[in-house]
Amino acid sequence: MFETVQYEVQRRQRGTIALTVGIAAVAAFFVALFPSFSGSGIDIDQMLEAWPPALQEAFGIETLATIEGFLAVELYNFVWVIVLGLYFAYSAASVIADDIERDRMDLLLSLPVSRSQLLFEKVGSLLAPIVLINFGVAIAVYASILAIGESIALSRLVMVHLLSVPYLLACAAIGLILSVTVTRADVGKRLALAVIFVLYLLDSIAATVDGLGFVRYVSPTYYYNPTEVLVHGTYAIGDAAILLVMTTVLLGIARSIFVRRDI
Amino acid sequence: MNPIDVKALSKSYGDVVGIDSLTFSVKPGEVFGFLGPNGAGKTTAIRTLLGLQSPTSGKAHVLGASITDESELLEAKTRIGYLPSDLAFNESVSGKRVLDYHASIKGDSRRAELLEIFTPPIDRPIREYSTGNEQMLGIVQAFMHDPDLVIMDEPTSGLDPLKQERFNQFITNERDRGTTIFFSSHVLSEVRRVCDRVGILRDGALVGLETIESLLNQGGKRVQIQTPDTIESQIEALDGVFSVISFGETVQFTYTGTYNNLISELQQYDIVDINISEPPLEDIFMHYYGSETEPDTETEAAHV
Repeated sequence: MFETVQYEVQRRQRGTIALTVGIAAVAAFFVALFPSFSGSGIDIDQMLEAWPPALQEAFGIETLATIEGFLAVELYNFVWVIVLGLYFAYSAASVIADDIERDRMDLLLSLPVSRSQLLFEKVGSLLAPIVLINFGVAIAVYASILAIGESIALSRLVMVHLLSVPYLLACAAIGLILSVTVTRADVGKRLALAVIFVLYLLDSIAATVDGLGFVRYVSPTYYYNPTEVLVHGTYAIGDAAILLVMTTVLLGIARSIFVRRDI
Repeated sequence: MNPIDVKALSKSYGDVVGIDSLTFSVKPGEVFGFLGPNGAGKTTAIRTLLGLQSPTSGKAHVLGASITDESELLEAKTRIGYLPSDLAFNESVSGKRVLDYHASIKGDSRRAELLEIFTPPIDRPIREYSTGNEQMLGIVQAFMHDPDLVIMDEPTSGLDPLKQERFNQFITNERDRGTTIFFSSHVLSEVRRVCDRVGILRDGALVGLETIESLLNQGGKRVQIQTPDTIESQIEALDGVFSVISFGETVQFTYTGTYNNLISELQQYDIVDINISEPPLEDIFMHYYGSETEPDTETEAAHV
Protein backbone atom coordinates (compact mmCIF):
# COMPACT_ATOMS: atom_id res chain seq x y z
CA MET A 1 0.00 0.00 0.00
CA PHE A 2 1.00 3.60 -0.70
CA GLU A 3 4.13 2.72 -2.70
CA THR A 4 2.76 4.75 -5.60
CA VAL A 5 1.81 7.66 -3.34
CA GLN A 6 5.31 7.71 -1.97
CA TYR A 7 6.87 7.54 -5.42
CA GLU A 8 4.66 10.26 -6.87
CA VAL A 9 5.07 12.58 -3.88
CA GLN A 10 8.86 12.23 -4.02
CA ARG A 11 8.85 12.74 -7.76
CA ARG A 12 6.95 16.01 -7.36
CA GLN A 13 8.84 17.11 -4.26
CA ARG A 14 10.84 19.86 -5.89
CA GLY A 15 7.91 21.26 -7.81
CA THR A 16 5.75 21.25 -4.69
CA ILE A 17 8.34 23.10 -2.64
CA ALA A 18 8.95 25.62 -5.43
CA LEU A 19 5.23 26.25 -5.74
CA THR A 20 4.83 26.67 -1.98
CA VAL A 21 7.71 29.11 -1.75
CA GLY A 22 6.43 31.02 -4.79
CA ILE A 23 2.89 31.42 -3.49
CA ALA A 24 4.15 32.23 0.00
CA ALA A 25 6.22 35.02 -1.54
CA VAL A 26 3.21 36.35 -3.47
CA ALA A 27 1.13 36.22 -0.28
CA ALA A 28 3.76 38.09 1.68
CA PHE A 29 3.93 40.66 -1.10
CA PHE A 30 0.16 41.23 -0.99
CA VAL A 31 0.25 41.61 2.78
CA ALA A 32 3.13 44.07 2.47
CA LEU A 33 1.01 46.14 0.06
CA PHE A 34 -1.84 46.46 2.53
CA PRO A 35 -0.51 49.35 4.70
CA SER A 36 0.00 51.64 1.70
CA PHE A 37 -3.50 50.68 0.59
CA SER A 38 -5.29 51.35 3.85
CA GLY A 39 -3.13 54.31 4.72
CA SER A 40 -3.71 56.15 1.45
CA GLY A 41 -6.65 58.09 2.88
CA ILE A 42 -8.97 57.05 0.06
CA ASP A 43 -12.24 55.36 0.97
CA ILE A 44 -11.71 52.35 -1.21
CA ASP A 45 -14.91 50.63 -0.15
CA GLN A 46 -16.94 53.58 -1.37
CA MET A 47 -15.21 53.30 -4.72
CA LEU A 48 -15.87 49.55 -4.85
CA GLU A 49 -19.57 50.09 -4.37
CA ALA A 50 -19.61 51.74 -7.76
CA TRP A 51 -18.34 48.51 -9.34
CA PRO A 52 -20.82 46.27 -11.16
CA PRO A 53 -22.27 43.66 -8.77
CA ALA A 54 -21.12 40.84 -11.06
CA LEU A 55 -17.54 41.96 -10.71
CA GLN A 56 -17.85 42.29 -6.95
CA GLU A 57 -19.28 38.80 -6.84
CA ALA A 58 -16.63 37.37 -9.13
CA PHE A 59 -13.80 38.63 -6.98
CA GLY A 60 -15.57 38.14 -3.67
CA ILE A 61 -15.15 41.81 -2.94
CA GLU A 62 -16.81 43.05 0.21
CA THR A 63 -14.22 45.30 1.68
CA LEU A 64 -10.62 46.13 1.02
CA ALA A 65 -10.33 48.28 4.12
CA THR A 66 -9.52 45.42 6.49
CA ILE A 67 -6.67 42.98 6.17
CA GLU A 68 -9.21 40.10 6.09
CA GLY A 69 -11.22 41.62 3.26
CA PHE A 70 -8.07 42.58 1.44
CA LEU A 71 -6.58 39.08 1.62
CA ALA A 72 -9.89 37.45 0.69
CA VAL A 73 -9.91 39.40 -2.55
CA GLU A 74 -6.25 39.59 -3.48
CA LEU A 75 -5.03 36.22 -2.30
CA TYR A 76 -7.78 33.71 -1.63
CA ASN A 77 -10.41 34.52 -4.24
CA PHE A 78 -7.74 34.85 -6.83
CA VAL A 79 -4.86 32.50 -6.01
CA TRP A 80 -6.83 29.80 -4.18
CA VAL A 81 -10.13 29.72 -6.02
CA ILE A 82 -8.80 30.38 -9.50
CA VAL A 83 -5.07 29.66 -9.76
CA LEU A 84 -4.85 26.64 -7.46
CA GLY A 85 -8.22 25.32 -8.58
CA LEU A 86 -6.94 25.35 -12.15
CA TYR A 87 -3.55 23.98 -11.11
CA PHE A 88 -4.92 20.93 -9.31
CA ALA A 89 -7.48 20.19 -12.01
CA TYR A 90 -4.65 20.42 -14.54
CA SER A 91 -2.32 18.21 -12.48
CA ALA A 92 -5.02 15.60 -11.92
CA ALA A 93 -5.84 15.61 -15.63
CA SER A 94 -2.31 14.47 -16.32
CA VAL A 95 -1.96 11.67 -13.76
CA ILE A 96 -3.40 8.86 -15.87
CA ALA A 97 -3.46 10.36 -19.36
CA ASP A 98 0.24 11.26 -19.31
CA ASP A 99 1.26 7.76 -18.29
CA ILE A 100 -0.85 6.28 -21.05
CA GLU A 101 0.30 8.71 -23.70
CA ARG A 102 3.96 8.38 -22.74
CA ASP A 103 3.79 4.57 -22.74
CA ARG A 104 4.42 4.24 -19.02
CA MET A 105 1.05 2.75 -18.14
CA ASP A 106 1.80 -0.68 -19.65
CA LEU A 107 4.59 -1.26 -17.21
CA LEU A 108 2.68 0.15 -14.23
CA LEU A 109 -0.28 -2.11 -14.87
CA SER A 110 1.99 -5.13 -15.18
CA LEU A 111 2.77 -4.63 -11.49
CA PRO A 112 0.60 -6.50 -9.01
CA VAL A 113 -1.48 -3.40 -8.25
CA SER A 114 -5.15 -3.09 -9.12
CA ARG A 115 -6.24 -0.32 -11.44
CA SER A 116 -8.39 1.22 -8.69
CA GLN A 117 -5.49 1.32 -6.28
CA LEU A 118 -3.17 2.82 -8.86
CA LEU A 119 -5.75 5.47 -9.75
CA PHE A 120 -6.50 6.44 -6.16
CA GLU A 121 -2.86 6.45 -5.13
CA LYS A 122 -1.91 8.62 -8.11
CA VAL A 123 -4.61 11.20 -7.48
CA GLY A 124 -4.16 10.85 -3.71
CA SER A 125 -0.54 11.90 -4.08
CA LEU A 126 -1.88 15.37 -4.97
CA LEU A 127 -2.91 15.71 -1.32
CA ALA A 128 0.74 16.32 -0.46
CA PRO A 129 1.05 19.57 -2.45
CA ILE A 130 -2.45 20.61 -1.34
CA VAL A 131 -1.50 20.25 2.31
CA LEU A 132 2.00 21.66 1.98
CA ILE A 133 0.94 24.76 0.05
CA ASN A 134 -1.85 25.49 2.53
CA PHE A 135 0.43 24.99 5.49
CA GLY A 136 3.36 26.95 4.10
CA VAL A 137 1.33 29.88 2.87
CA ALA A 138 -0.75 30.10 6.07
CA ILE A 139 2.44 30.51 8.03
CA ALA A 140 3.81 33.07 5.57
CA VAL A 141 0.56 35.06 5.69
CA TYR A 142 0.38 35.05 9.47
CA ALA A 143 4.01 36.01 9.85
CA SER A 144 3.81 38.84 7.36
CA ILE A 145 0.61 40.21 8.94
CA LEU A 146 2.39 40.37 12.27
CA ALA A 147 5.37 41.93 10.56
CA ILE A 148 3.32 44.87 9.25
CA GLY A 149 1.81 45.38 12.69
CA GLU A 150 -1.68 44.18 11.81
CA SER A 151 -3.56 41.29 13.32
CA ILE A 152 -5.92 38.59 12.09
CA ALA A 153 -8.06 36.03 13.89
CA LEU A 154 -5.95 32.88 13.69
CA SER A 155 -9.04 30.67 13.58
CA ARG A 156 -10.30 32.43 10.45
CA LEU A 157 -6.94 32.07 8.76
CA VAL A 158 -6.78 28.38 9.65
CA MET A 159 -10.33 27.81 8.43
CA VAL A 160 -9.87 29.59 5.11
CA HIS A 161 -7.04 27.17 4.41
CA LEU A 162 -8.72 24.10 5.86
CA LEU A 163 -11.94 24.65 3.92
CA SER A 164 -9.96 25.06 0.70
CA VAL A 165 -8.83 21.44 0.88
CA PRO A 166 -12.22 19.93 -0.10
CA TYR A 167 -12.50 22.58 -2.82
CA LEU A 168 -9.12 21.75 -4.31
CA LEU A 169 -9.88 18.03 -4.05
CA ALA A 170 -13.10 18.55 -6.01
CA CYS A 171 -11.14 20.42 -8.70
CA ALA A 172 -8.64 17.55 -8.83
CA ALA A 173 -11.48 15.03 -9.14
CA ILE A 174 -12.86 16.95 -12.14
CA GLY A 175 -9.41 16.79 -13.72
CA LEU A 176 -9.21 13.08 -13.01
CA ILE A 177 -12.44 12.37 -14.86
CA LEU A 178 -10.91 14.00 -17.92
CA SER A 179 -7.66 12.14 -17.39
CA VAL A 180 -9.31 8.72 -17.59
CA THR A 181 -11.56 9.70 -20.49
CA VAL A 182 -9.41 11.43 -23.08
CA THR A 183 -6.80 9.71 -25.22
CA ARG A 184 -4.45 12.66 -25.42
CA ALA A 185 -3.09 14.12 -22.21
CA ASP A 186 -2.79 17.62 -23.64
CA VAL A 187 -6.45 17.68 -24.53
CA GLY A 188 -7.38 16.48 -21.05
CA LYS A 189 -5.28 19.15 -19.36
CA ARG A 190 -6.66 21.95 -21.48
CA LEU A 191 -10.21 20.72 -21.00
CA ALA A 192 -9.65 20.59 -17.24
CA LEU A 193 -8.58 24.24 -17.26
CA ALA A 194 -11.55 25.17 -19.40
CA VAL A 195 -14.05 23.29 -17.24
CA ILE A 196 -12.87 24.82 -13.97
CA PHE A 197 -12.84 28.29 -15.47
CA VAL A 198 -16.30 27.91 -16.98
CA LEU A 199 -17.66 26.62 -13.66
CA TYR A 200 -16.12 29.63 -11.92
CA LEU A 201 -17.71 32.00 -14.43
CA LEU A 202 -21.06 30.22 -14.15
CA ASP A 203 -21.00 30.65 -10.41
CA SER A 204 -20.11 34.34 -10.68
CA ILE A 205 -22.61 35.19 -13.39
CA ALA A 206 -25.49 33.10 -12.10
CA ALA A 207 -25.18 34.81 -8.73
CA THR A 208 -26.29 38.13 -10.17
CA VAL A 209 -28.85 36.92 -12.69
CA ASP A 210 -32.37 36.36 -11.40
CA GLY A 211 -33.71 32.87 -11.90
CA LEU A 212 -30.31 31.39 -12.68
CA GLY A 213 -29.20 30.95 -9.09
CA PHE A 214 -29.57 27.17 -9.24
CA VAL A 215 -26.81 26.94 -11.86
CA ARG A 216 -24.33 27.88 -9.16
CA TYR A 217 -24.88 24.62 -7.33
CA VAL A 218 -22.93 22.62 -9.91
CA SER A 219 -19.80 24.69 -9.47
CA PRO A 220 -17.30 23.78 -6.73
CA THR A 221 -16.47 27.49 -6.42
CA TYR A 222 -19.96 28.04 -4.95
CA TYR A 223 -19.06 25.91 -1.93
CA TYR A 224 -15.84 27.66 -1.00
CA ASN A 225 -16.14 31.31 -0.07
CA PRO A 226 -12.96 32.85 1.40
CA THR A 227 -14.66 36.23 1.94
CA GLU A 228 -17.32 34.67 4.17
CA VAL A 229 -14.70 32.89 6.21
CA LEU A 230 -12.25 35.78 6.58
CA VAL A 231 -14.57 38.80 6.78
CA HIS A 232 -17.54 37.30 8.65
CA GLY A 233 -16.04 34.30 10.35
CA THR A 234 -18.79 32.03 8.96
CA TYR A 235 -17.55 28.53 8.34
CA ALA A 236 -19.74 26.65 5.85
CA ILE A 237 -18.99 23.14 7.07
CA GLY A 238 -22.00 21.82 5.16
CA ASP A 239 -20.59 23.24 1.93
CA ALA A 240 -17.28 21.53 2.61
CA ALA A 241 -19.18 18.29 3.12
CA ILE A 242 -20.92 18.78 -0.22
CA LEU A 243 -17.51 19.24 -1.86
CA LEU A 244 -16.28 16.02 -0.29
CA VAL A 245 -19.36 14.16 -1.52
CA MET A 246 -18.85 15.68 -4.97
CA THR A 247 -15.21 14.52 -4.89
CA THR A 248 -16.18 11.01 -3.83
CA VAL A 249 -18.78 10.69 -6.57
CA LEU A 250 -16.37 11.97 -9.22
CA LEU A 251 -13.63 9.60 -8.03
CA GLY A 252 -16.12 6.73 -8.21
CA ILE A 253 -17.00 7.65 -11.79
CA ALA A 254 -13.33 7.99 -12.73
CA ARG A 255 -12.65 4.58 -11.22
CA SER A 256 -15.44 2.84 -13.08
CA ILE A 257 -14.23 4.35 -16.35
CA PHE A 258 -10.59 3.46 -15.73
CA VAL A 259 -11.09 -0.17 -14.66
CA ARG A 260 -13.07 -0.93 -17.82
CA ARG A 261 -10.91 0.96 -20.22
CA ASP A 262 -8.63 -0.58 -22.83
CA ILE A 263 -5.21 0.93 -22.38
CA MET B 1 -1.06 -26.27 -15.84
CA ASN B 2 0.61 -24.35 -18.63
CA PRO B 3 2.02 -20.90 -17.83
CA ILE B 4 0.12 -19.54 -20.81
CA ASP B 5 -3.06 -21.08 -22.23
CA VAL B 6 -4.86 -19.24 -25.00
CA LYS B 7 -8.15 -20.41 -26.54
CA ALA B 8 -9.74 -18.71 -29.54
CA LEU B 9 -8.62 -15.32 -28.27
CA SER B 10 -9.72 -12.39 -30.44
CA LYS B 11 -9.43 -8.66 -30.11
CA SER B 12 -10.81 -6.18 -32.59
CA TYR B 13 -10.97 -2.41 -32.52
CA GLY B 14 -14.17 -1.67 -34.36
CA ASP B 15 -13.63 -3.11 -37.83
CA VAL B 16 -9.91 -3.53 -37.37
CA VAL B 17 -8.85 -7.00 -36.31
CA GLY B 18 -5.98 -6.97 -33.82
CA ILE B 19 -5.77 -10.69 -33.19
CA ASP B 20 -8.02 -13.31 -34.69
CA SER B 21 -8.92 -16.45 -32.73
CA LEU B 22 -5.49 -17.30 -31.37
CA THR B 23 -5.08 -20.73 -29.78
CA PHE B 24 -1.79 -21.89 -28.30
CA SER B 25 -0.08 -22.90 -25.07
CA VAL B 26 3.31 -22.16 -23.65
CA LYS B 27 4.71 -25.05 -21.61
CA PRO B 28 6.50 -24.72 -18.29
CA GLY B 29 10.17 -23.93 -18.63
CA GLU B 30 10.04 -23.30 -22.35
CA VAL B 31 11.25 -20.36 -24.37
CA PHE B 32 8.48 -19.51 -26.77
CA GLY B 33 8.99 -17.08 -29.61
CA PHE B 34 6.15 -15.10 -31.03
CA LEU B 35 7.12 -14.20 -34.55
CA GLY B 36 5.74 -11.89 -37.13
CA PRO B 37 6.35 -8.63 -38.91
CA ASN B 38 5.27 -5.32 -37.43
CA GLY B 39 1.51 -5.03 -37.35
CA ALA B 40 0.92 -8.78 -37.24
CA GLY B 41 -0.73 -8.51 -33.80
CA LYS B 42 2.11 -9.55 -31.48
CA THR B 43 1.78 -6.55 -29.18
CA THR B 44 -2.01 -6.76 -29.20
CA ALA B 45 -1.80 -10.41 -28.11
CA ILE B 46 0.68 -9.64 -25.33
CA ARG B 47 -1.24 -6.64 -24.03
CA THR B 48 -4.46 -8.65 -24.02
CA LEU B 49 -2.75 -11.45 -22.08
CA LEU B 50 -1.70 -8.94 -19.42
CA GLY B 51 -5.21 -7.55 -19.03
CA LEU B 52 -4.32 -4.14 -20.43
CA GLN B 53 -7.22 -4.52 -22.83
CA SER B 54 -10.14 -6.88 -22.68
CA PRO B 55 -10.53 -9.54 -25.36
CA THR B 56 -13.45 -9.28 -27.79
CA SER B 57 -13.97 -13.03 -27.47
CA GLY B 58 -12.15 -16.15 -26.37
CA LYS B 59 -10.31 -17.07 -23.20
CA ALA B 60 -6.79 -17.06 -21.89
CA HIS B 61 -5.07 -18.04 -18.66
CA VAL B 62 -1.73 -16.77 -17.47
CA LEU B 63 -0.17 -18.81 -14.63
CA GLY B 64 -3.64 -20.23 -14.09
CA ALA B 65 -5.32 -16.84 -13.78
CA SER B 66 -8.08 -15.85 -16.16
CA ILE B 67 -7.04 -12.66 -17.95
CA THR B 68 -10.51 -11.19 -17.53
CA ASP B 69 -10.56 -11.64 -13.74
CA GLU B 70 -8.61 -8.75 -12.25
CA SER B 71 -8.09 -10.23 -8.79
CA GLU B 72 -6.88 -13.60 -10.17
CA LEU B 73 -4.60 -11.80 -12.58
CA LEU B 74 -3.21 -9.55 -9.83
CA GLU B 75 -2.15 -12.57 -7.82
CA ALA B 76 -0.46 -14.01 -10.93
CA LYS B 77 1.28 -10.73 -11.68
CA THR B 78 3.43 -11.10 -8.56
CA ARG B 79 5.08 -13.96 -10.48
CA ILE B 80 5.15 -12.35 -13.93
CA GLY B 81 7.82 -10.13 -15.38
CA TYR B 82 6.98 -7.88 -18.32
CA LEU B 83 8.99 -5.85 -20.77
CA PRO B 84 6.78 -3.76 -23.08
CA SER B 85 7.79 -2.87 -26.62
CA ASP B 86 7.40 0.86 -26.08
CA LEU B 87 9.26 1.14 -22.85
CA ALA B 88 9.19 4.42 -20.93
CA PHE B 89 9.86 5.69 -17.43
CA ASN B 90 9.42 9.06 -15.72
CA GLU B 91 12.19 11.18 -17.20
CA SER B 92 13.12 13.11 -14.09
CA VAL B 93 13.83 10.23 -11.71
CA SER B 94 16.93 8.03 -11.56
CA GLY B 95 16.97 4.43 -12.72
CA LYS B 96 17.54 3.44 -9.11
CA ARG B 97 14.38 5.25 -7.99
CA VAL B 98 12.36 3.43 -10.67
CA LEU B 99 13.73 0.07 -9.55
CA ASP B 100 13.07 0.99 -5.88
CA TYR B 101 9.48 1.83 -6.74
CA HIS B 102 8.90 -1.39 -8.64
CA ALA B 103 10.72 -3.34 -5.93
CA SER B 104 8.48 -1.89 -3.22
CA ILE B 105 5.53 -3.48 -5.01
CA LYS B 106 6.86 -6.76 -6.37
CA GLY B 107 10.27 -7.41 -4.75
CA ASP B 108 13.82 -7.41 -6.11
CA SER B 109 15.65 -10.50 -4.82
CA ARG B 110 17.77 -10.69 -7.98
CA ARG B 111 18.40 -7.00 -8.63
CA ALA B 112 22.12 -6.93 -7.75
CA GLU B 113 22.88 -10.02 -9.81
CA LEU B 114 21.03 -8.63 -12.85
CA LEU B 115 22.76 -5.28 -12.62
CA GLU B 116 26.05 -7.09 -13.11
CA ILE B 117 24.88 -8.50 -16.43
CA PHE B 118 22.89 -5.50 -17.65
CA THR B 119 24.46 -2.22 -16.73
CA PRO B 120 22.20 0.82 -17.06
CA PRO B 121 23.63 3.86 -15.23
CA ILE B 122 21.11 3.60 -12.39
CA ASP B 123 22.23 6.72 -10.53
CA ARG B 124 21.58 8.99 -13.49
CA PRO B 125 18.17 10.41 -14.35
CA ILE B 126 16.26 8.51 -17.04
CA ARG B 127 16.26 11.52 -19.34
CA GLU B 128 19.98 10.97 -19.90
CA TYR B 129 19.50 7.33 -20.87
CA SER B 130 20.13 5.99 -24.35
CA THR B 131 17.53 3.61 -25.82
CA GLY B 132 19.84 0.71 -24.97
CA ASN B 133 20.15 1.83 -21.35
CA GLU B 134 16.39 2.15 -20.98
CA GLN B 135 15.99 -1.29 -22.48
CA MET B 136 18.49 -2.75 -20.01
CA LEU B 137 16.67 -1.09 -17.11
CA GLY B 138 13.50 -2.65 -18.49
CA ILE B 139 15.10 -6.09 -18.59
CA VAL B 140 16.34 -5.73 -15.00
CA GLN B 141 12.90 -4.77 -13.70
CA ALA B 142 11.31 -7.63 -15.66
CA PHE B 143 13.50 -10.27 -13.98
CA MET B 144 14.42 -8.78 -10.61
CA HIS B 145 11.55 -10.29 -8.60
CA ASP B 146 12.49 -13.76 -9.85
CA PRO B 147 9.24 -14.34 -11.76
CA ASP B 148 8.05 -17.74 -13.00
CA LEU B 149 6.93 -16.29 -16.32
CA VAL B 150 8.50 -13.45 -18.25
CA ILE B 151 6.68 -11.83 -21.14
CA MET B 152 8.76 -9.60 -23.39
CA ASP B 153 7.78 -7.59 -26.44
CA GLU B 154 10.74 -7.15 -28.80
CA PRO B 155 13.29 -7.43 -25.97
CA THR B 156 16.44 -6.85 -28.01
CA SER B 157 15.30 -3.71 -29.77
CA GLY B 158 17.71 -0.90 -28.99
CA LEU B 159 20.43 -3.20 -27.65
CA ASP B 160 23.80 -3.14 -29.37
CA PRO B 161 25.03 -6.49 -30.83
CA LEU B 162 27.24 -7.19 -27.84
CA LYS B 163 24.37 -6.65 -25.39
CA GLN B 164 22.06 -8.70 -27.63
CA GLU B 165 24.51 -11.55 -27.42
CA ARG B 166 24.62 -11.19 -23.64
CA PHE B 167 20.84 -11.13 -23.56
CA ASN B 168 20.54 -14.31 -25.62
CA GLN B 169 23.00 -16.06 -23.33
CA PHE B 170 21.05 -14.79 -20.34
CA ILE B 171 17.76 -16.13 -21.71
CA THR B 172 19.31 -19.56 -22.23
CA ASN B 173 20.50 -19.55 -18.60
CA GLU B 174 17.08 -18.43 -17.41
CA ARG B 175 15.45 -21.34 -19.18
CA ASP B 176 17.90 -23.67 -17.45
CA ARG B 177 16.76 -22.17 -14.13
CA GLY B 178 13.20 -23.13 -15.07
CA THR B 179 11.79 -19.72 -15.97
CA THR B 180 9.18 -19.77 -18.71
CA ILE B 181 9.83 -17.12 -21.31
CA PHE B 182 7.45 -15.78 -23.90
CA PHE B 183 8.75 -13.14 -26.23
CA SER B 184 7.89 -11.54 -29.49
CA SER B 185 10.36 -10.73 -32.18
CA HIS B 186 10.76 -10.04 -35.82
CA VAL B 187 14.45 -10.92 -35.73
CA LEU B 188 14.48 -14.50 -36.94
CA SER B 189 18.09 -15.33 -36.18
CA GLU B 190 17.65 -14.48 -32.52
CA VAL B 191 14.51 -16.54 -32.24
CA ARG B 192 16.30 -19.47 -33.77
CA ARG B 193 19.11 -19.24 -31.26
CA VAL B 194 17.12 -19.05 -28.06
CA CYS B 195 13.63 -20.44 -28.67
CA ASP B 196 12.33 -23.95 -28.21
CA ARG B 197 9.13 -23.29 -30.10
CA VAL B 198 7.71 -20.52 -32.20
CA GLY B 199 4.26 -19.31 -33.05
CA ILE B 200 4.06 -17.46 -36.33
CA LEU B 201 1.61 -14.64 -36.55
CA ARG B 202 0.24 -13.11 -39.70
CA ASP B 203 -2.50 -10.50 -39.92
CA GLY B 204 -3.56 -11.31 -36.37
CA ALA B 205 -3.89 -15.06 -36.94
CA LEU B 206 -1.57 -17.86 -35.93
CA VAL B 207 -0.33 -19.43 -39.17
CA GLY B 208 2.29 -21.74 -37.73
CA LEU B 209 3.16 -23.35 -34.43
CA GLU B 210 6.38 -25.34 -34.66
CA THR B 211 9.46 -26.42 -32.84
CA ILE B 212 12.52 -24.67 -34.18
CA GLU B 213 13.81 -28.03 -35.43
CA SER B 214 10.80 -28.86 -37.53
CA LEU B 215 10.70 -25.32 -38.80
CA LEU B 216 14.24 -25.76 -40.08
CA ASN B 217 13.58 -29.28 -41.45
CA GLN B 218 10.57 -28.10 -43.39
CA GLY B 219 12.70 -25.55 -45.08
CA GLY B 220 15.02 -28.12 -46.64
CA LYS B 221 18.61 -27.16 -47.43
CA ARG B 222 20.16 -24.33 -49.27
CA VAL B 223 22.49 -25.64 -51.99
CA GLN B 224 25.06 -23.56 -53.84
CA ILE B 225 26.92 -25.11 -56.77
CA GLN B 226 29.76 -23.54 -58.66
CA THR B 227 30.20 -24.96 -62.16
CA PRO B 228 31.31 -23.72 -65.60
CA ASP B 229 28.46 -25.76 -67.15
CA THR B 230 25.02 -24.32 -67.73
CA ILE B 231 22.83 -26.47 -65.48
CA GLU B 232 20.07 -24.18 -64.32
CA SER B 233 17.24 -25.74 -66.35
CA GLN B 234 18.29 -29.30 -65.49
CA ILE B 235 18.37 -28.46 -61.81
CA GLU B 236 14.98 -26.82 -61.99
CA ALA B 237 13.55 -30.04 -63.43
CA LEU B 238 14.61 -32.03 -60.35
CA ASP B 239 12.05 -33.04 -57.70
CA GLY B 240 12.18 -30.92 -54.53
CA VAL B 241 14.00 -27.95 -56.03
CA PHE B 242 12.72 -24.44 -55.35
CA SER B 243 13.74 -20.86 -55.86
CA VAL B 244 16.60 -21.36 -58.28
CA ILE B 245 18.82 -18.34 -58.79
CA SER B 246 22.08 -18.23 -60.71
CA PHE B 247 24.75 -15.61 -60.52
CA GLY B 248 27.95 -15.97 -62.55
CA GLU B 249 29.10 -19.60 -62.31
CA THR B 250 27.02 -20.24 -59.21
CA VAL B 251 23.56 -21.75 -59.02
CA GLN B 252 21.69 -21.49 -55.75
CA PHE B 253 18.48 -23.29 -54.80
CA THR B 254 16.46 -24.68 -51.93
CA TYR B 255 16.34 -28.47 -51.89
CA THR B 256 13.88 -30.69 -50.03
CA GLY B 257 14.55 -33.97 -51.86
CA THR B 258 17.02 -36.75 -51.02
CA TYR B 259 20.78 -36.29 -51.29
CA ASN B 260 21.20 -39.41 -53.50
CA ASN B 261 19.06 -37.98 -56.27
CA LEU B 262 20.89 -34.71 -56.13
CA ILE B 263 24.33 -36.32 -56.19
CA SER B 264 23.57 -38.64 -59.10
CA GLU B 265 22.29 -35.68 -61.08
CA LEU B 266 25.36 -33.60 -60.29
CA GLN B 267 27.79 -36.40 -61.34
CA GLN B 268 27.28 -35.44 -64.98
CA TYR B 269 28.74 -31.98 -64.53
CA ASP B 270 32.02 -30.37 -63.82
CA ILE B 271 31.55 -29.20 -60.19
CA VAL B 272 34.08 -26.67 -58.90
CA ASP B 273 32.53 -26.16 -55.48
CA ILE B 274 29.46 -27.26 -53.60
CA ASN B 275 28.00 -25.86 -50.42
CA ILE B 276 25.00 -27.32 -48.60
CA SER B 277 23.73 -25.34 -45.62
CA GLU B 278 20.66 -24.69 -43.51
CA PRO B 279 18.51 -22.09 -45.14
CA PRO B 280 18.13 -18.75 -43.41
CA LEU B 281 14.87 -18.56 -41.47
CA GLU B 282 13.81 -15.77 -43.77
CA ASP B 283 13.51 -18.32 -46.55
CA ILE B 284 11.50 -20.68 -44.40
CA PHE B 285 9.20 -17.85 -43.61
CA MET B 286 8.31 -17.48 -47.22
CA HIS B 287 6.10 -20.55 -46.62
CA TYR B 288 4.04 -18.48 -44.21
CA TYR B 289 4.33 -15.06 -45.64
CA GLY B 290 5.32 -15.81 -49.22
CA SER B 291 3.68 -14.49 -52.32
CA GLU B 292 0.28 -13.85 -50.72
CA THR B 293 1.52 -10.98 -48.65
CA GLU B 294 1.71 -8.54 -51.51
CA PRO B 295 -1.86 -8.81 -52.86
CA ASP B 296 -3.12 -8.68 -49.26
CA THR B 297 -1.52 -5.34 -48.62
CA GLU B 298 -2.87 -4.07 -51.87
CA THR B 299 -6.43 -5.09 -51.11
CA GLU B 300 -6.16 -3.48 -47.69
CA ALA B 301 -4.88 -0.32 -49.25
CA ALA B 302 -7.71 -0.37 -51.76
CA HIS B 303 -10.29 -0.60 -48.96
CA VAL B 304 -8.84 2.45 -47.29
